[in-house]
Amino acid sequence: MTALLPEASSVDLSDLEFWALPPEQREAAFAALRRDRPFAFYEEPEVPFMEKGPGYYSIVRHADVEAVSSQPKLFCSGEGATSIVNLPAELNEFYGSMISMDDPRHAKIRRIVSKAFTPKMLEAVVDSVELLCEEILIDARKAAEQGDGTFDLVKHISAPLPLRVICRMMGIHDADAPVVLEQTNFILSGGDEEFITDESQALMQIIQAGQTLAGIMERLAEERRETATDDLTSALVRTEVDGEKLSYQEIASFFILLCVAGNETTRTAISHGVWAMHQFPEQKARWMADPSLEKTAVEEIVRWASPVIWMRRTATQDTEVNGHKFKAGDKLIMFYNSANRDEKAFTDPFTFDLGRQPNPHYGFGAPGPHFCLGANLARREIAVAFRQIFEKMPDLEVVGEPDRLKSSFINGIKRLPVRLGGRA
Amino acid sequence: MSETLHAHVDEQVCVGTGMCEATAPDLFEVGDDGTSHVLLDVVPPELAAAARKAAEDCPTRALTLGAG
Repeated sequence: MTALLPEASSVDLSDLEFWALPPEQREAAFAALRRDRPFAFYEEPEVPFMEKGPGYYSIVRHADVEAVSSQPKLFCSGEGATSIVNLPAELNEFYGSMISMDDPRHAKIRRIVSKAFTPKMLEAVVDSVELLCEEILIDARKAAEQGDGTFDLVKHISAPLPLRVICRMMGIHDADAPVVLEQTNFILSGGDEEFITDESQALMQIIQAGQTLAGIMERLAEERRETATDDLTSALVRTEVDGEKLSYQEIASFFILLCVAGNETTRTAISHGVWAMHQFPEQKARWMADPSLEKTAVEEIVRWASPVIWMRRTATQDTEVNGHKFKAGDKLIMFYNSANRDEKAFTDPFTFDLGRQPNPHYGFGAPGPHFCLGANLARREIAVAFRQIFEKMPDLEVVGEPDRLKSSFINGIKRLPVRLGGRA
Repeated sequence: MSETLHAHVDEQVCVGTGMCEATAPDLFEVGDDGTSHVLLDVVPPELAAAARKAAEDCPTRALTLGAG
């Protein structure tokens, strides 16, 4: 791939059109940055109604991402982790919740939910993941049979599985699930025209989506205050941090974070996994023939997909990363997608290898206190999805190109046409 | 003289990601306080490899192993 690298200086990560380029071109651009401009500085993207900030450094090498992520005192999240542009503090907290928070408060809040996501707690959830997945595959097959044998994998399998799992964990009523999906799509649309038709309205649309989710939460929290169950919403309404109950706004933003993070990421991983196994059918055959490959296969799908492309940190003081100096207040964007293709961290990083070991990928984030809360849940969901697809839909085949989300933040697939071949 | 292996979790740093519990469920468990707890005073030889992997992979680097 080295021979085809573009000029690193020609790469503009702030240009939304860069994120509409074919994946190979983006991969080549990041390879060039890793080699020639590992700390490239960019102007901030224009956001209507927001003051343009000072710019940011792109952190693209595995070792540099690790250094930034694992030193939260030097590189904080509290100035915003999911937006390059500085958002008003209220918006930052509302959409980011603990993802845009620093310890000690972050750790206190994080530990409240951590216990709901431990491997042992998830054992109880796994049975319901299996059942939900069975139902979803039956419905998908029906959709295929009622039509011409084809269906959209995203709509019928990769979106509903994590959506229904997270809704069940949070206690969200089935009737509200479609609204949750629709609104999380808005929040993570990244400027894709399908969701945000008028750029000047983008911020308003995202705020409205947040309010809609907060409304669902408000009704649910009310119910749980009266009658607690064993769901996450009940845990949130009765929890206390430093002797104080979480405020309405804190619960609402927590709820939004879990809805958004629990939905968009696993969906992306499953969709990319199906597409990758279509491109590399020998890997699919390998896994189908050897179910014990599950553990490494799931990790490779997450590395390959890198569903969340970046997170931001802000330098809290003058410091340096592997020889490069930063000043207090500098913004650093850690590109996980690039770290996950770093030739220095992975053997043959552009090879999709379901048996890859070791696989020190940052698909769940790099080391540090913000490591993905849902990593164990996502692993289970992806494992169950593929195990059941192989068992119940061995005839599933991809019949078209993925329709990709135009976003720098989520490596999304909006649609992926598939067919149940053997039955057509 | 046989050296014994002990595991230690720094509760100030641990946020209960549960990665250690996934790697070595007989040795670690995230408790009700949302941090991981070491279940055995001494790491038995058959769990030593899993314990090392858990310590290496701990996202918050809260987990350390010591001999003696």
